Amino acid sequence: MKIIYPILTAAALSVATMAAADPARQAIVDFYANAAGVTDFSAEGGKSLFETTQVGGQPDTNVCTACHGTNHTDTGRTRAGKTIEPMAVSANPARFTDLEKVEKWFRRNCDTVLGRQCTAHEKGNVIAYFSSL
Amino acid sequence: MADETLALTSAPAQSSDRRKPVRVPVWDRFVRLFHWSLAATIVVATATGFFAAAPRIDIHIWVGAAALGLVVARVIWGFLGPTHARFSDFATDRRTIFAHLSQIAAGKAERHRGHNPLGGAMVLALLGLIVAVAVTGVVVLGGVFKSGPLAFATSFTTGWNVRVIHELFSVALVVLIALHVAGVVFESWRTHENLARAMVDGRKEARPKDHASGMKGARPVTAIAIAGSLLAALGSLAWVSSARLPLGVPTAALDPTYAEECGDCHNAYHPTLLPRASWSALTAGLDDHFGENASLGPETTQRIASYLMANAAEAFDTKPANFFRQIDPLKSFTITATPFWTQTHRNIPTAVFDRTAVGVRGNCEACHTDAAQGRFYPGAIDIPSEATP
Ligand code: HEC
Ligand code: HEC
Ligand code: HEC
Repeated sequence: MKIIYPILTAAALSVATMAAADPARQAIVDFYANAAGVTDFSAEGGKSLFETTQVGGQPDTNVCTACHGTNHTDTGRTRAGKTIEPMAVSANPARFTDLEKVEKWFRRNCDTVLGRQCTAHEKGNVIAYFSSL
Repeated sequence: MADETLALTSAPAQSSDRRKPVRVPVWDRFVRLFHWSLAATIVVATATGFFAAAPRIDIHIWVGAAALGLVVARVIWGFLGPTHARFSDFATDRRTIFAHLSQIAAGKAERHRGHNPLGGAMVLALLGLIVAVAVTGVVVLGGVFKSGPLAFATSFTTGWNVRVIHELFSVALVVLIALHVAGVVFESWRTHENLARAMVDGRKEARPKDHASGMKGARPVTAIAIAGSLLAALGSLAWVSSARLPLGVPTAALDPTYAEECGDCHNAYHPTLLPRASWSALTAGLDDHFGENASLGPETTQRIASYLMANAAEAFDTKPANFFRQIDPLKSFTITATPFWTQTHRNIPTAVFDRTAVGVRGNCEACHTDAAQGRFYPGAIDIPSEATP
């Protein structure tokens, strides 16, 4: 039984690194790093932005998890009842691989939830958080 | 059938008991089967037409079609059946009918072993009215619901107007059926004979003073051949024309850009569900779309807007397109807040919309399996039941 854990961890790690290593996603991370003038992003910062209740946006949707759910390897649900695929890269490798899509949704959802645009730093943090899961 | 036919053509059977006349065959097997099958289809068609919820429409249509088929077969039997099945035995002129009426009033009307003149007129009226109800029904089905053999050629307006006639005829049919039953009860009382039972076992008493009928032999083989080929021809014609493209229904799949950009938060609404003015107000305000920012780049917005303009409610002839076209675009572009939508869905409890598989009123596809095609045919409604884990 005990031997299974290292194997699972190794498997999980390799999936995670494989996922993180997607060149399209890496390019997006680099793009935000460049724009923010930083070299590293904080998964903790991303988690806090995503899971903290905000003020300034719409009261009905004042936290990102209102639609995306709190278990990021599982699906979420929009206000209109449509399923949203998981945000964790390990569960949904297509996440954060299309800059246009990523930008579109940050533009919309940051405005809806925070009532303002997210900074490049915040966006990079969010991607770092979901890549770490 | 052959022996019955023989019995009918022979003279009234000899009675061994003077006081109790022998019951002889009057209604042949087809007439009886026809009568009770028709009664069953008309009861179901009337019940579903007046009382059933829209999703039951297919039952209504199929029993209606069955009634029409039965009437066609009966008409042929009216020319080729045995004595009392024939129109010539009971279809009379107005004068005979009135004469019969005044004889009844005077208490000295003849007894007919088949239909009496009044009953015969009722049979013809019922058959004719059932054909009229069925034919107008097919027009409504084609124009309003864009389905069935006339869908390829019938506009919504035609179907909607004929709907009124279909309903009037149906009410008239119910009234006639009531009169028919009353007539049967009355005649049973007048002639001391249970006529409903006669329609079950086919026999009636042979009485000495019965109205004389010219005996006729049935030609069942010819009748079956004619009815079979006529019904087969009608059926295939209906089948073939039902397969034709209905008039004014959208056929193209949703534009891929539209389906993708407007299908992330909810299933993309069919463009025929709002008029042009509503769509243009909606696309102009995407940055505050029902409390959410749903903005798109100017090019994509433009592209979606022109797709919606070209395919809006004004461009098609389906029932939803015809109704949503009339909404006041200044009021809102919320489909589920329009008078037509709230009226149509007024009987659905809120709890049904709260079911996990539905979620919100605007989740048309959860219940309307053909929502993506913009059809909203009532028979395609399938309300998801509450998930049982
Ligand atoms: C009103 C519902 C809603 C809220 C609130 C919401 N999102 Fe989203 N989000 C969506 C939907 C819908 C999608 C697109 C569906 C998909 O990509 O699976 C999406 C997609 C995204 C994407 C694109 C992911 C990718 O694959 O490129 C990002 C990034 C995102 N959201 C971030 C956020 C952040 C950050 C917040 C909080 C500030 C947030 N969302 C709040 C509904 C929401
Ligand atoms: C960011 C998510 C999002 C996107 C993207 C989006 N919508 Fe919506 N839409 C909503 C929400 C939320 C509602 C309100 C649902 C409710 O209250 O039940 C709504 C409602 C609607 C309604 C009214 C539905 C009703 O209940 O009557 C229409 C029509 C509509 N949207 C059209 C569009 C079109 C067209 C697009 C693409 C240009 C689009 N939507 C894109 C979130 C979105
Ligand atoms: C909870 C399930 C449900 C949802 C969600 C729903 N409908 Fe319906 N709809 C029905 C039912 C049931 C009827 C039939 C009502 C009746 O008995 O007349 C109906 C009837 C209709 C009709 C009339 C059909 C006809 O020809 O008689 C139209 C049009 C329609 N709905 C459009 C919509 C649209 C557009 C939406 C989404 C904005 C929607 N519906 C959402 C259940 C639903």
